[in-house]
Amino acid sequence: MSKFGNLFIAGITTGAIYAMFAVCVSVWYRVSNILNLAVGDFAMVGALGVDNLYRVKGLPLPVAIVCTLLVVAAFAYVYDQVVLRIAQDGPHRMDGIVVTFFFTFALSFFIDGVAKMLFGTDVHAAPALWNGASLSLGSLHFERAGLLVLACAVIIGGAFWVYIRFTLGGKALEASGENAVGARIVGIDTRRYRRLIFIGTAVIAAVFGIVESPITGFTYLSGATISLTGFLAAAYGGFRKPGRALLAGLFIGVLEAMLGGYVSAEYGDTVLYAILAAMVLAWPRQLGFESAVSG
Amino acid sequence: MTATGSTPDESVPTNKGGGTALAVRNLSVAYGNVVAVHDATFTVAEGDACAIIGPNGNGKSSILMGVTGMIRRRGAVDVFGAAARNGDVRWAARHGLTLVPERRQLYPELSTADNILLGCYTWTRNIGRARRSEPFDRAIDLFPELRPHLKQLAGTLSGGQQQMVAIARGLAADPKILAVDEPCLGLAEAVAKRVYDALAKIHEQGTTLIVVEEAPRRALTLCNRRVEVRNGVAGDSVAGAA
Repeated sequence: MSKFGNLFIAGITTGAIYAMFAVCVSVWYRVSNILNLAVGDFAMVGALGVDNLYRVKGLPLPVAIVCTLLVVAAFAYVYDQVVLRIAQDGPHRMDGIVVTFFFTFALSFFIDGVAKMLFGTDVHAAPALWNGASLSLGSLHFERAGLLVLACAVIIGGAFWVYIRFTLGGKALEASGENAVGARIVGIDTRRYRRLIFIGTAVIAAVFGIVESPITGFTYLSGATISLTGFLAAAYGGFRKPGRALLAGLFIGVLEAMLGGYVSAEYGDTVLYAILAAMVLAWPRQLGFESAVSG
Repeated sequence: MTATGSTPDESVPTNKGGGTALAVRNLSVAYGNVVAVHDATFTVAEGDACAIIGPNGNGKSSILMGVTGMIRRRGAVDVFGAAARNGDVRWAARHGLTLVPERRQLYPELSTADNILLGCYTWTRNIGRARRSEPFDRAIDLFPELRPHLKQLAGTLSGGQQQMVAIARGLAADPKILAVDEPCLGLAEAVAKRVYDALAKIHEQGTTLIVVEEAPRRALTLCNRRVEVRNGVAGDSVAGAA
């Protein structure tokens, strides 16, 4: 029982991370119809940036965190203003698969390249924000960093939910993804929402990178894996349903931990992806895959 | 340049005042090299119900799109005497000119109530204020048949109901001029009549109406003025005179 419980806790913790990235991917896709494949790279920049400023440059930890987040936000702003603006708002508006994947995919490689130059290729992590041995409750063990991740996920996820559900701005955000023409008619500035959510999710990703990195450690290449899992979980909500993406993220996290613990540590991931693929084949409509394809 | 109405004074006049609500001068709209509207000039007085009629593909909708700023135009548009900014829908909506677009352009995965509520986005960001507002109430009251469906997703409504939601969303924007584009496209005759009854009521309540309509007979039951469009050229006339 305690093995199950501990695996479950570990699974929920990783699942919370997947879930948050999935939410970031799907919220922005709703607004912009672009898949953010660079979301994991912002997490990596968060983790390695704080590590670099704190450990190498010797800045105090809070200053290092604030500086890193500001740099991420500023970079996201510039990227939106330059690249996305030309791609989507210009006289030669681009549509379809190129815009959906290409620009953020290129961005991901760009960030990786810069990170390699700045931070090197070693595994690093931001310092733990909450030091001490893991907490125990009976036979269950809680990593402090894991609890921080969960807390962040609940707070940020909850804030997102409240914003979308209970404010006119949140509904306008949904509307601009649903129907850009219909949104313009009532005066919704869809570009502003695209920019706002892009910067917001980049900063959220960076925060998660900082909080999570003490558990796993990051290299300049870690971003792609995170993006991919977030992308996968978001796909289970048809990229348009943040709530479902969240559940899918948690489910994938728990399933991964269980397979690793009970089936095989070596082949756990292989079995995981086989199960996920089988589920898509079995229930494409219920899992939102059809709507993802047909729009 | 035609001048049917007198020049309105600076203050936004009240409805039925007889001043010029909308003045359009030398409006041209083009899609790339294709000219859809050429040199249209007409005015709509306050309290008017104006029909823009003509065969399909002659540029009726493009006139509304250009006037409201959904697409860029050449020529001048004045809304209650103020020069409208080119390509700025929000400016038009804030100055009382709201578009109910062709094909409704709703948000299919939002609820009916939220679709209507978003009309209020033109004048507020406060959801509580929007819900308690007079324009929102008026929009809901005008279509009692929508009440049982307020929580339903708009995409699951029938065509007629969706058209009502689109008009209700336009009303929630608190317009002084409501520009409705092809309100009965693809609707059964009985439903079309219901839509026109609602438009007549909106007009009675003092809102200036502009209706783009392919079927002139239907439009002219309601409208006291008409602008005829042929091959992208608009001609101004009073209903019944031609």
